[in-house]
Amino acid sequence: MATKSGKQKNLTKEEELLLQDFSRNVSTKSSALFYGNALIVSAIPIWLFWRIHQMDLYQSGIIFVIGTIISTYLVSFAYKNVKFVLKHKVAQKREEAVSREMMKKLADDKKMNKKEKDERILWKKNEVADYEATTFAIFYNNALYLVLLIIASFYILKNFNPNINYILSVGTACGLLALFSTSTK
Amino acid sequence: MKFHVALFILAVAFFHGYSADDEDAGRLLASKNVLNQYLVEGRDLTIEYRIYNIGGSAALDVKLEDDTFPEADFDISSGSLVAKWDRIAPNTNVTHAVILRPLKYGYFNFTAATVSYLPSEKSSERQVGYTSAPGEGGIVNSKDFERRFSPHVLDWLVFAVMTLPSLGIPFLLWYSSKSKYDISKAKKN
Amino acid sequence: MATTGLSIIVITLFAPLFVAGDSCVGPSVQSKYYVTREAAASVDTVFIVEFQLTCKNGLKNMNLYADVNGKLLPVTKTDDSKNKYQVSYSDENKNLPAGHYDVRFYDEEGYAILRKAQRSGETNDSIKPLFTIPINHPGVWKGPIVQSEFIAVVVAILVWYVAHSAKSHLQSDK
Repeated sequence: MATKSGKQKNLTKEEELLLQDFSRNVSTKSSALFYGNALIVSAIPIWLFWRIHQMDLYQSGIIFVIGTIISTYLVSFAYKNVKFVLKHKVAQKREEAVSREMMKKLADDKKMNKKEKDERILWKKNEVADYEATTFAIFYNNALYLVLLIIASFYILKNFNPNINYILSVGTACGLLALFSTSTK
Repeated sequence: MKFHVALFILAVAFFHGYSADDEDAGRLLASKNVLNQYLVEGRDLTIEYRIYNIGGSAALDVKLEDDTFPEADFDISSGSLVAKWDRIAPNTNVTHAVILRPLKYGYFNFTAATVSYLPSEKSSERQVGYTSAPGEGGIVNSKDFERRFSPHVLDWLVFAVMTLPSLGIPFLLWYSSKSKYDISKAKKN
Repeated sequence: MATTGLSIIVITLFAPLFVAGDSCVGPSVQSKYYVTREAAASVDTVFIVEFQLTCKNGLKNMNLYADVNGKLLPVTKTDDSKNKYQVSYSDENKNLPAGHYDVRFYDEEGYAILRKAQRSGETNDSIKPLFTIPINHPGVWKGPIVQSEFIAVVVAILVWYVAHSAKSHLQSDK
């Protein structure tokens, strides 16, 4: 048990570098994924303010567009931060299982030498960690964003003019989301 | 709401022209009340009239007429703004109600309706009096009312459907990977 | 003074009997009714029954009485020429729960018999009304018990709680 957990914690320098490298340079593919998701979740408040707070889609169109753009930017910023924080932890947690799976897969492959196998395992570890951190960061931030938005617009700012309510509640939700994402805990 | 409380202070207007020696004559008091909690543009507005006969005998040929609601501002939904009773016995009361729909929002001054009647069989001259006046009331914009009081169940359900993919998809993707590689689970197997 | 007072009372007591010579033959009624549906529109429950009465013998301008929920009310005439009438009844919400109500209508004759029966403590059931208008009262809506946004916020917090505990688990060193 002790050895196992010790192993988990101590990634080699090489692994560490590789992981960090991967997480800092967010690939265009995952960047698009982040922006797309951020845009969707940032556009959802428009429905609430249109249908429930009875705002006019055309009259308040500019506010909606600007609010959605700013929110998209800040939400994707939060996604990236949370993903970055989570990726290392996920990598540590999944290391053993991933290596075991890869070893099983590559065991019969006689052509591959030890170094190649290690590289494949490391690559797989990174892929798994990246995938999990990405999907989880999106899920977590979306959930938090919606909670903050509903509390702000339906409780704290309930009696405000809908335009001000929209600006402040979307601003608060994405602002706090971005702020929380910068803390490492 | 302040307005609602004000309306319920039942102000009963006394009729003019009553002379003290007419003890056997019918004598009517009438109130007009708005029963609404909220006055909302395009929604039911309940007006209730109550006429009490506090005189010594029946009031005859009683006619209640309310011409204080301009056609341009109100639709009549139920009931009639003209009401007649052949007689109202002493110590009894009658109730009349009308449902209107305000067509505009803003302040509206609810004023008195007219009641006319014959105080006794002998009298040939009609007594004319007024009901109490409910006073000024604010009619709320239907949009504002919707925003504050409608439950919007359908809108919230649509909202739930809209948010479901943005929460459900990333969660399921993460969860499937997690359950595949989670050591604590793998150990148990 | 006293004698005239008495004579008026005597006349008013027997007046219905004199008028009741004509009764409506084969009444046909066109009616519509209104009941309060939501507390925002009225603090009390209000019933309004409007009807147009046609008698085969062409009788018009009748004095009618209505029995609403056990209470006898004089029927209001709203348009003599068209023979239109209205009955308004209001009471606290708790006294008029949702359900089916039959508004029974009596002419002067029926009303006199009804009053007599009531005075001697008999039940009204044996006296046949001229006609009856049924009312279906679906009840007064007093607003939602729980506000939608409350449910929304509870669900959102629950989802976030799941997310948060999963996150703390991921970030823990175990």
